[in-house]
Amino acid sequence: MKLSAPLTVNWTLSYDCNFSCRHCYSRGREGRELPLSDVLRIVDELARCRVAFVNFGGGEPLVYPHLREVARAAADRGLRVSMNTNGWLLDRAVAEGLGAAGFSTVGVSVDGATPAVHDAFRSRPGSLARALAALEHLAATGLSATASAVIFRHNVHTYRDIVALAAERGARTVYLHNFKCAGRGHANRAELDLSPPEWRAFYEDALAWAPHAPAKLAFDDPILALLGAAEPGAVKGSTCGKLSLHLEPDGEATPCGFLPLSAGNVLTDGLEAVWATSPALRQMREKTPQGKCTTCEVYGECLGGCTARAFAATGAFNAPDPHCWRDPTP
Amino acid sequence: MSRPLERNPEVVWREEPRERAAILAALEAGEEVGERGWVVLVEGGRMHELNLLAGEIWCLADGTRTPEGVAAELAARYEAPAEEILADVEAFAADCRARGWMG
Repeated sequence: MKLSAPLTVNWTLSYDCNFSCRHCYSRGREGRELPLSDVLRIVDELARCRVAFVNFGGGEPLVYPHLREVARAAADRGLRVSMNTNGWLLDRAVAEGLGAAGFSTVGVSVDGATPAVHDAFRSRPGSLARALAALEHLAATGLSATASAVIFRHNVHTYRDIVALAAERGARTVYLHNFKCAGRGHANRAELDLSPPEWRAFYEDALAWAPHAPAKLAFDDPILALLGAAEPGAVKGSTCGKLSLHLEPDGEATPCGFLPLSAGNVLTDGLEAVWATSPALRQMREKTPQGKCTTCEVYGECLGGCTARAFAATGAFNAPDPHCWRDPTP
Repeated sequence: MSRPLERNPEVVWREEPRERAAILAALEAGEEVGERGWVVLVEGGRMHELNLLAGEIWCLADGTRTPEGVAAELAARYEAPAEEILADVEAFAADCRARGWMG
């Protein structure tokens, strides 16, 4: 089906952040922030185009001064509102404020089961304790809390402990995100990223454990199709530019937060026009196999895997996902 | 008397009128439309597409119409036998209830 607009918009309202994480895709990026009146015009545009979900990321959304007002406007217009936070600023009063602002779900990053892993990755002592406390504050106020862990070399062997810890503190779903080699993630890739066989081993283990895990496990990696784990009827390959779109602080649209290629500006061009006519989005939707993908019999299932990862590693949309473990016969 | 069909308000959905028009045009031209969708549902992080008839039923399931009422409305809209459509409406509604999409 050809959608007239994205179902989900992932929105970076600001790149300001109180953390300096070692894998951050956006640290150092600068984007002109719009005045609140223009931000609210974008909310109107999302509602007009019947976008279903808006998720605020960043940057740290809780640093953005108008977050609650923007969220309230989106919720009042029928959008489901969520956000991802490092949890540092999220105490009980803030949790209650987020509920009042119309948030339906708040995700907190938990990247390690111990401070030695999490705090080092996040470059902020005490950050694990604050993240876990944030989960408890959210659960106490009745907000749906989720946890997000970026899987990397120093936590892959203890990811079950992360899930157990997050579940114990109130997270009902734990997202196990694939490592993106973008921004600092690209600069630190040699140290932090797993090898393709290690990614395969991790996913096989996590999929086998999922039915027994103390929280629902969620994944966002198109490469899972290689294990036959894609949902029946699910969109093949990356969903970015097919179901979802990312917005920069100045209203520029990009296929996803990890692909800094402008697809147009929703404020000046309109969301439906950007969605329908952007060459960058067309490239996301109409990939052609390159390299080892050309002889791979399951290319039709994964469509080359994560396009952002391939682009970050090689500069090409159609290059094979650098996490792919398959070695198709030529 | 059958109870009205009512969508679960927790299920996020959107209709795509241009896709519906394209499906109807294809039918008019005698083309195969298969399961081509025009209503999209998002539930539990998954996206589902509803085909022409399922989408029509879904849009009418607003809590004010019984299955018979939905079938009668669609029979008039598509000049088709109401009793045949009713069987489809009931089958779709049963599937939706099993999935938690309808009350």
